[in-house]
Amino acid sequence: MKRIISLWLPRFATDRLSLRLGVSPSEWRARAFATIETGPTGPRLAAINRAARAQGLIRGLTLADAKARLPALELCEAEPMGDAKAVARLADWCGRYSPWTAVDGPDGVWLDVTGCAHLFGGEAALLEDLAARIEALGFAAQPALADTPGAAWALARFGEERIVAPGDAARVLAALPVAALRLDAETCAKLAGLGLRSVGDLEALERGALARRFGVGLLKRLGQALGREPEPISPRRPAAPYHARLAFAEPIGGPSAIREGSRRLVEEICARLAADGRGARRLTLALYRVDGTVARTALGTSRPSREPEHLMTLLDERLEGLDAGFGADALSLLAAAEPLADGQLMLDLPARLGEEEEPRVDVTETVEAGEMARLVDRLGNRLGPDNVLRLSLRESHVPERAAAFRPAFGSESDGAAAVAAVETVMERPAAERPLRLLARPEPIEAVAEMPDAPPVLFRRRRTLHRIVRAEGPERIAPEWWRSARARCASPRDYYRLEDSEGRRYWVYRDRATRPGMAPAWYLHGVFA
Amino acid sequence: MTGYAELQVTSNFSFLRGASHPEELVARAAELGLAAIAITDRNSLAGVVRAHIAAKGAGVRLLVGARLDFTDGPSVLCLPTDRAAYGRLSQLLTRGKRRAPKGECWLGPDDLDEFGDGQIAIALAPETPRLPDERFARALTRLAERFAGSCFLAAQHLSWGNDTRRIAVLAELAEALGVPLVASNDVHAHDPGRRALQDVLTCIREHCTLDEAGFRLFANAERHLKPADEMARLFGAYPDAVARTVEIAGRIDFSLDELSYDYPAELAADGRTPQDELVRLTRAGVEVRYPAGLPAKVEAQIEHELALVGQLGYAPYFLTVYDIVRFARSRGILCQGRGSAANSAVCYCLGITAVDPGRIDLLFERFVSAARGEPPDIDVDFEHERREEVIQYVYEKYGRERAGLAATVIRYRSKSAVRAVGKVFGLSTDVLGVLARTVWGQSGEGVQVEHLAERGLDAGDRRLALVLELSRELIGFPRHLSQHVGGFVITDGPLSALSPIANAAMEGRTTLEWDKDDLDALGILKIDLLGLGMLSCIRRCFALIEAHEGRTLTLASVPAEDAEVYDMLCDADSIGVFQIESRAQMSMLPRLKPRSFYDLVIEVAIVRPGPIQGDMVHPYLRRRAGEEAVEFPSAELEEVLGKTLGVPLFQEQAMRVAMVAAGFSAEGADGLRRAMATFRHTGRIGGFRDKFVGGMTARGYDPEFAVRCFKQIEGFGEYGFPESHAASFALLVYVSAWLKRHAPAAFACALLNSQPMGFYAPAQILRDATVHGVCLRPVDINHSEWDCTLEPAGEEPDTKARGGEDAKQGWGTGGPVLRLGLRQICGFREEDANRLVAAREADGAFATPASLRARSGLGAASLDRLARADGFGSMRLAQRAGLWAVCGLGPTPAPLFAQGPEGAAETPPETPTRLPVMGLGEAVMEDYASLRLSLKDHPLALLRSRLAAERAAPCNRLASLADGARVSVAGLVICRQRPDSASGVIFVTLEDETGVANIVVWQRVFERFRAVVLGAPLLRVTGRLQIEGRVTHLVADRLEDLSERLRALRSAGPGLALGQAEARYFPARSFR
Repeated sequence: MKRIISLWLPRFATDRLSLRLGVSPSEWRARAFATIETGPTGPRLAAINRAARAQGLIRGLTLADAKARLPALELCEAEPMGDAKAVARLADWCGRYSPWTAVDGPDGVWLDVTGCAHLFGGEAALLEDLAARIEALGFAAQPALADTPGAAWALARFGEERIVAPGDAARVLAALPVAALRLDAETCAKLAGLGLRSVGDLEALERGALARRFGVGLLKRLGQALGREPEPISPRRPAAPYHARLAFAEPIGGPSAIREGSRRLVEEICARLAADGRGARRLTLALYRVDGTVARTALGTSRPSREPEHLMTLLDERLEGLDAGFGADALSLLAAAEPLADGQLMLDLPARLGEEEEPRVDVTETVEAGEMARLVDRLGNRLGPDNVLRLSLRESHVPERAAAFRPAFGSESDGAAAVAAVETVMERPAAERPLRLLARPEPIEAVAEMPDAPPVLFRRRRTLHRIVRAEGPERIAPEWWRSARARCASPRDYYRLEDSEGRRYWVYRDRATRPGMAPAWYLHGVFA
Repeated sequence: MTGYAELQVTSNFSFLRGASHPEELVARAAELGLAAIAITDRNSLAGVVRAHIAAKGAGVRLLVGARLDFTDGPSVLCLPTDRAAYGRLSQLLTRGKRRAPKGECWLGPDDLDEFGDGQIAIALAPETPRLPDERFARALTRLAERFAGSCFLAAQHLSWGNDTRRIAVLAELAEALGVPLVASNDVHAHDPGRRALQDVLTCIREHCTLDEAGFRLFANAERHLKPADEMARLFGAYPDAVARTVEIAGRIDFSLDELSYDYPAELAADGRTPQDELVRLTRAGVEVRYPAGLPAKVEAQIEHELALVGQLGYAPYFLTVYDIVRFARSRGILCQGRGSAANSAVCYCLGITAVDPGRIDLLFERFVSAARGEPPDIDVDFEHERREEVIQYVYEKYGRERAGLAATVIRYRSKSAVRAVGKVFGLSTDVLGVLARTVWGQSGEGVQVEHLAERGLDAGDRRLALVLELSRELIGFPRHLSQHVGGFVITDGPLSALSPIANAAMEGRTTLEWDKDDLDALGILKIDLLGLGMLSCIRRCFALIEAHEGRTLTLASVPAEDAEVYDMLCDADSIGVFQIESRAQMSMLPRLKPRSFYDLVIEVAIVRPGPIQGDMVHPYLRRRAGEEAVEFPSAELEEVLGKTLGVPLFQEQAMRVAMVAAGFSAEGADGLRRAMATFRHTGRIGGFRDKFVGGMTARGYDPEFAVRCFKQIEGFGEYGFPESHAASFALLVYVSAWLKRHAPAAFACALLNSQPMGFYAPAQILRDATVHGVCLRPVDINHSEWDCTLEPAGEEPDTKARGGEDAKQGWGTGGPVLRLGLRQICGFREEDANRLVAAREADGAFATPASLRARSGLGAASLDRLARADGFGSMRLAQRAGLWAVCGLGPTPAPLFAQGPEGAAETPPETPTRLPVMGLGEAVMEDYASLRLSLKDHPLALLRSRLAAERAAPCNRLASLADGARVSVAGLVICRQRPDSASGVIFVTLEDETGVANIVVWQRVFERFRAVVLGAPLLRVTGRLQIEGRVTHLVADRLEDLSERLRALRSAGPGLALGQAEARYFPARSFR
């Protein structure tokens, strides 16, 4: 008979929000918070903290309604992805109790603790310890323990009792509402309409009649909860048959203490491997930190081994990079094993797992389209994706803004779109522009007829240029929305000029009129 | 100095392109002293009437035209030189619009060829700095051949950098093809200051943010109106191109003033003149309306009217309306003229209006006036569900070429403007929502900076400030054209020669490009065919009465001045009655105590923004009650205000006050009225206020009275009621009240079948019916039809004649019984109901759910809804048993196996299942879930014992308590209102099993209990009673959410979403 814990985190999203925002618990109780998600009909409330719920806000309310009812409501975007990752981290963290853990929806974790409870002083103590630690991490927790995932799930969410003795599920479940069977809302509503409220009500009915009306799904859920039907759940990490753990009364932090603990675990595992005639191919050491995070390191061997000294040498190298944070209160070691005959020698060649071969870039190589992508990948892996940039055209009338650095990578979400945008820049609806733009327009002195005739000569760095050909003006107004300065800036009149020596320039006149002052002229680019 | 005429002007009627109103452009052109200005919107003439009016005022010459954008080939400015050419341009645009979906116009150069006679065509080179290519040259050659002598090529100097080169190339091309060059400036704004708004408009049009817009924005602000010397300077090398603009303007000999309107002429038969025909029909009508002989007063009136109509030549118009009304009558569609037409005895005799001229004083001059020279305005209301038949009749009779709906210009208002501009600035939906919510209602003032801080936004934020500034600028800009609700223009000649006709969004509708103000300005007559829900309801009610009592009624034949009807209204017993069922109206009734038809006219008019804002209501009531002497500010006003005890109540009285007491001319007063009507979107009152108040004060009136009068005119705005209009409405008030009093079952039945309409939900309508002794029967698959129906009373006592101590008057007792229709079941579809009824009528009652499914072919979801609504009563299946049976039918059998009427592929019989018994509370809640009402009981009745223990009074006890008493009541929230006229006060209406209670929540209390007031479906309110005559209000100081108790009634499992479900079952009408 299996023993399964269902850990329900009833306010996970908002608990996480409070941690994210760093709001103190007392304030959290006083201020109303909610997250919003944007659905097809606009933004709606997703997760609601207790203070907001006390004001009558509920999930699914439109943002407009919610704000009308509670103007003081504080809002954040919902982060379903972030929440999912956080649950997964918690599930990993639960590995301290059992190597077999799994994520259960957006707000739950399964733990198979079959045969583990004694390590924690019995089932009751285990549950208590689990709940206390999760609460200490800042999450509300309701765990329950039963023979099947279904029964544990039901109990965690709807039950009074926390532990169902083996074989007692039917009795306990009978009193629970049908929703405890993990049914969809529609089926629940349908059952409620028929007055079928509890699991017991369903059990009292003929199976055939139920199946006809609600499909076999309902019977399956019923069977799973009561253990009549199996419910396989795949754990987050494949369970390793060789597993050892060590808990400390006080958190440990020093490298020597961790090393000492690791040694004891390695010895324990090696003894068991020897007994089974097997050797380890891969070891994973997990450090359960007091702040609820897990630090892991793994090493592989090219050949199976059960030599504690050798394995410890390999592990020592990895321990250096292992950060215990504020301290760890448990260690565990997993081993994946292969058969190993007695007396076989080990090779002394540690492979470096988790690292790819060092990339080498041949800079003389012609960079072609595909090569470019690979180059970007390599550089990005090394330097960080945000640090690899490429220059691209941008649609803007303002010359300084006509080109932009963009991440060559493209971020996860809009990578393809960004690349596409770069490729399809519109034709610029204006006259020719110089290929080279000065980093900063350079003031010059020029002589021109008002209001908008091109200059007849200009002086730059004490050199006088006589203009023989000119075209313009191209009048470009500033992008007024960009800044307060741009708002009041005046347009510029650009001219293409050719001087008597055949050199071509791009100059502009600031159209701002300053009383009593000659207009200001600048050189902004040179034509090739 | 050389002159210049701007020939290429895009106004904001090229939606989201032009950045100035036509009026602004024209005014600026006048200021600059331009020789003329053309308005050439893109494939549109929508803005020309406004420009025309403005041009007349500003004394500048307007050229009417359009820029034709083709699906293929370069664009052309088209300027018609005379009336005939204008007609052709309009027809050309009509063709392009009729073949395209709404808002688009598909034209090809061939179309221009066809309608090109008399047009000046100015070709536009592609809008890019690149030089015109071979393709353009070819297109220009083709155009030059077609428009020999009147074809030109436009050149612009827009500071693109290569302007000189570009214009030189164009000039060369012009020379080569013999197409003279003409200067233009592609004007998009009257002033360069509109650049920011121009960019914003571009972004709105392109659905992008400013940062994304890129080259879609103009590089600079050069496309504005420029003075002649500046144009001459820019085109220094081509002085002829500038001079030619004036020359072209000189060739155009057309003004919109030439558009004349001709009434359809074919309506007079047998060679009679329209006037003869009108006289003949009027005489015939007299026979019908006055079988007992024509009263002398009315006879004189008819003579007077006919003479005036003859003199002004309006007979064809009367005949047109008569024809439409006659058609509606022939189809049994109820209709009634409203508005000033009710001032006409001829309209009464023709059957256009239904208010007997003997019942009110007529002011025919208000309707048709020789002095005003304006066409009369007849609006006709039809049953809202059947108005489309009438509209299609008009299209069919006159053809799409001769009849079209007027347009309505949809403009940016505060909310839409701030949303659109905010989006362009890339604000998040969250912030946008907050911004838009700072605007209450439809104000034209935009969002004020002060309001931002209240909403938690940073008022100092530069982008936000820009958003507010630009959205204020955007307010009033046209966004698109929509169809007028029912204003038809019908012409004798082709309508498309008057204004382009376009497809409307709605199937089978076509609209003009001009709205009602444009049509008014040009003296073009329109007929408003409007829809009115109450007419549908009254027609249904008449039909029910005819079927059950054999009595035929019409609007005019409902017995007049019935004392019992007025008794009922004095009691504020007016749920369901037209117009006077709102809370404000209901509380007015016992104060006004209507005893005659004219009292109803006043009742309808008095609870309106005008009299309320002008503070005219209380003086009137006091005078009526004899608490205040009836005196007149002056002898001249006695004539105007005599009927209403010296207090101006009607719109025309206010206008007459302006003329008599403030010295306005007739035109001035009319201008004032128009200014007020458009005040909300233009925000301009001009100097009217000073002129009005000053005028009255100068004539010796009390300044305070003058200010009140002006406020009243402001309040009338778009919503003023003239007396005749109030009279038309009052007739419907009277008729519906009569039906409620004398046929309560039929009235309730008709109301339910006309939903949605009015203020009340079916639950309240039925409650009200039972209070008056009407018996109800539940929805049943073997008895109900789609609509609610009346059934004869049976021997056995029926459910829910709630009589007893609660019944006010049991005047429905013993009458027919109301059977709820399948339409009451939420989510049940009419086509399913029709299939069910057809199957039942074909082969008799259904014996089992299986036979119902087999014979009607209803799907599982529909059967489920029927069962949830407890519709299997006649099969002796209670709600739960019915649902169990329906669920157990399994998947729908394939047709092959569905043999025989009872479905031979019957599922094997099951052993009977015992389901948990359903309590009354649960049953009631289930009823609310699927019907929004329950005939079994009221939820509050089930909660009463506990509420009584907690000393909450039933609603019907409030009136018998003392004024000022502190009391609690509990009830379902059926309505929340925040009237604009009441500053921040919320009105909540609660309902329990005994009646309703009216709650007043002051702003301060509201802020404290906001979530409860807005969210809770069941409330307990504690506060102080305010009893004034027969009007009882409870002024709340504490509000509690009791929804938990509804949940307890349902005793639902905790797995269901709490709270949400209850709110869904008890939807209250709520303000936004």
